[in-house]
Order: sequence, then C-alpha cells, then structure tokens
Amino acid sequence: MKSSMKNKLTGLVTAAVITTSLTACSSNPTQVTACSLPEGPNLERAISAARFDLETGCEHEFDGYFQRLLTIAEGDPKKENKASFSDFLLWANDAGLLSKRQARETYNRYFGIKYVTLISDYSICSQTCPQQSDVMRDMNRELADKEQGLLKISADRLNYTRASNLYRETELVLEATCEACGPNE
Amino acid sequence: MKTATICDWKGMQRFFKQLLTGCLLLPMAVYAGSSAPTIKLFPTTVLEEIKHTGNVAAEMETGLQTVISQLDEQQKLYLDSKCEGNEGDPGCERIAKQLGKSYLEMLDIMADKLPEMEIAVNATSSSLEKRIRKELGQKKTSWTLQELLIGAESSQSAAASQPSLRGRSGMRLSDRFSQYYELVARSSGKTSSSLAVIASDIYLDMQETASLIARTREEISRATLMEQLNQSFGTITPEMQEVVAGVKAILFGEEADATPMAVAPVGTADSGYESALQM
Repeated sequence: MKSSMKNKLTGLVTAAVITTSLTACSSNPTQVTACSLPEGPNLERAISAARFDLETGCEHEFDGYFQRLLTIAEGDPKKENKASFSDFLLWANDAGLLSKRQARETYNRYFGIKYVTLISDYSICSQTCPQQSDVMRDMNRELADKEQGLLKISADRLNYTRASNLYRETELVLEATCEACGPNE
Repeated sequence: MKTATICDWKGMQRFFKQLLTGCLLLPMAVYAGSSAPTIKLFPTTVLEEIKHTGNVAAEMETGLQTVISQLDEQQKLYLDSKCEGNEGDPGCERIAKQLGKSYLEMLDIMADKLPEMEIAVNATSSSLEKRIRKELGQKKTSWTLQELLIGAESSQSAAASQPSLRGRSGMRLSDRFSQYYELVARSSGKTSSSLAVIASDIYLDMQETASLIARTREEISRATLMEQLNQSFGTITPEMQEVVAGVKAILFGEEADATPMAVAPVGTADSGYESALQM
C-alpha cells in the first residue's frame, strides 16, 4: 500500500515536471539562442532568420534586427532590396510587431523621397517655425538614412538626388517662410 | 592722411563689390512645367515692384560706372607712382586730392540714389513677405509644402533644355532683378513649387540687399564727412582715425552669410519600384 502510494506520487511528480518542462519549452523555446542577429551576406536568408527570431520571442529586438538587415543589404546594393525591405516591414505589420503607420514611416525614412520628419498637422508658421532648427536637424538625419537606404542599399542614385534636392529646397523655402512669419507666430 | 583716403576707398570698394556683384544669391532654374500656379505668390503689384527695383538699380549703376572707373585709374596711378609712404611729395598730393574729389563725387551719387533703391527693395521685400506668410506660412503644413516642392520634380524632366542658373552669381544687381522679373513674368509656364522656391530666393535676397544698403548708407555718411575734412583741412587727427577704425570694424567686420542654394534635380522622375508603404 505504502509502496503503491509512493509509486503513484513519484509518477505524479514526474508527470508534473515533464509537463512544466514542455510548457516552458513551447512558450519560450528559443529565447536564449534565437535572439542573435543574423550573420552572413545573403539578405534573403538574413530576413528569414530575422523573421523566425522575431516571431519566436525576440520582438523586443526589432530595431536591432532591422539595423542588421540594413547593414547586410549594404553589402549587395541593388534596386530589388527595396522590395525586400518593403515585404519585411509589411510582414512586421501583419505579425503585429509594427503598426501600419510605423511600417510606412520606417520604409519611407530609408527608401522614400519625402521626409517623414515633415509630417505635421498645423501651419508652418504655427508649428514648424518655432522649431525650425530642430526640424532641419531631423531632416538632415533622415537624409543620412535615405543615403543608406536609397544609395547604399538600393543603388538608386536618381531618387537619392531627388531627396537631397528636396532637402535643400525645403531648407530654403522654410528659411524664407519662417522669416516672413515673424517671431510671434 | 592720404592713406586714410585710400583705405576709405578700399572699404567702399568692398561694399560696392558686395552690393553690385557677389554677395547675393540667385535662384535661376526655369522649369517648364505645364500646370498653372495654384498659389498666388506673384501678383501684378509684386511683379511691377521687382521691375521697378531693377530699373532703379540700373540707373544707379550707370551713374556710378564712370566715376568708379576714374577712381580705379587714379588709385592705380597713386600706387604706380609709389605714393604710399611718400605723402609729402607734391605730385602725390595732387593725385590724392583728385582721388579724394572723385571719391566724394561717387559718395554723392550713392547718397543720391541709394534712398530710392532702399525704398524699392523694401517695398518688394514687404510685398513678398506678406505673400509668403499667407500662401506658404499660413496655408501650408510642412508636409503639404514638401508635397508642393516635390511636385516640381515630376515636371522637371522637361526642364532639361532650360537654362539652369542657380547658385552664387557675380551678376550685377540690375541684371539680377531683370532675371527675377523674367522668371516671374513668364510664370504661366511654371509650377507653384518652382514659384515657391523663386519667391523664397528673391525674398531672402531682398532682405540681404536691404541690410547691405542700410550699412552702405551709414558708411557713406561717415566717409563723406571724413573726406570733406580731408579736403578742407588736409589733416586727420588720431581721434578721427580711431573713430574710423571703430566704424570700419563694425561695418566691415563680418561678411554676408551664404545661403545654401537649391539645385535642379538631375534626370527623370522614374522611381522604378513602388512599395505599398510608399507615402
């Protein structure tokens, strides 16, 4: 009797340990090993690896993965890379890692001509001019990102030139407009 | 004593060079867009003011041309005759006196014409300021401004055959206004975006010109007084020279700032891949 109870108890404990272990494995199976950034020169392979990691517990490392993918893509600049990043960001949106807006802004920051820095709801006099120098500084940083995305990754010199020209024209027109708006608005 | 005259002339030359040629910027990209302007940056009044300013500038230049050439020759003669450091020589004194007279003559012409120029420039600047504030500052957000500016790019593939003269220019003031007028007067062939850039450039140019004219007028008053004293009494006291040095430090101390210029985009607007995320 005593022996039978002991066996039953041992069996229950063993089952509980196995169940707990299995549960732990299924909820966070790759936490320790998976959050290492992709290596190697192949962008598509790196994107696959990143997607696997990001949907299996490494979503908090999204920015790091994205930056690594950009760096890998720089090793093989071509127009098709734009589509790869677009697909990746759309997937990130579908997977709930990014909102639609975040995905759009991230894509355009690197691969678009327009500056997401300039997104605004109010007039130039009231919203942009009071922080004109900050806006220009942020635009300048975004221009550097466009240099990476358009020029170094996508080999798209034409659109990078357009983005660069847009920067200079915006700077000129903002300077004149803010001068015309005056200090009180 | 005579050195002070030469120095004054050199200083004034710097002003003229700035005023008549190099210090201002020129936005000269003539686009061949087909859409009509949708923002009203250049009503007829502004256009007429630009034209008038150009005419006033031309008059002033014409009036100054002869006397400036004369001054250059006299200055060359003074230097070639090794008069620097040899002021006691009667021949050198005579040259210096002639130089001083020409200098006064030039100052008179400037003093006569600059107020009109100042009024014309200020009027143009003020009208443009109101237009830019209303049409761009109050009606646009930074995002819609960007969309306006980028709109030009799609129409610029047709601009390849058009003259593109943007950037620093050693052009005379009157020529510059004349080009501004031409640019704007033919605005039916331009997009609002290019007009926004042109208006901004002209406005900033006007601001700089107005400031330069104000500084030049101050310098003329001082220089006229100095040269009159020089001609009448033949001496300049150390105190006077100190004042001159102080005024020069203030007036000539800093160069005009250079504003980065926009450059016409290169190539066509073919963007190839179009992402679903494209804004």
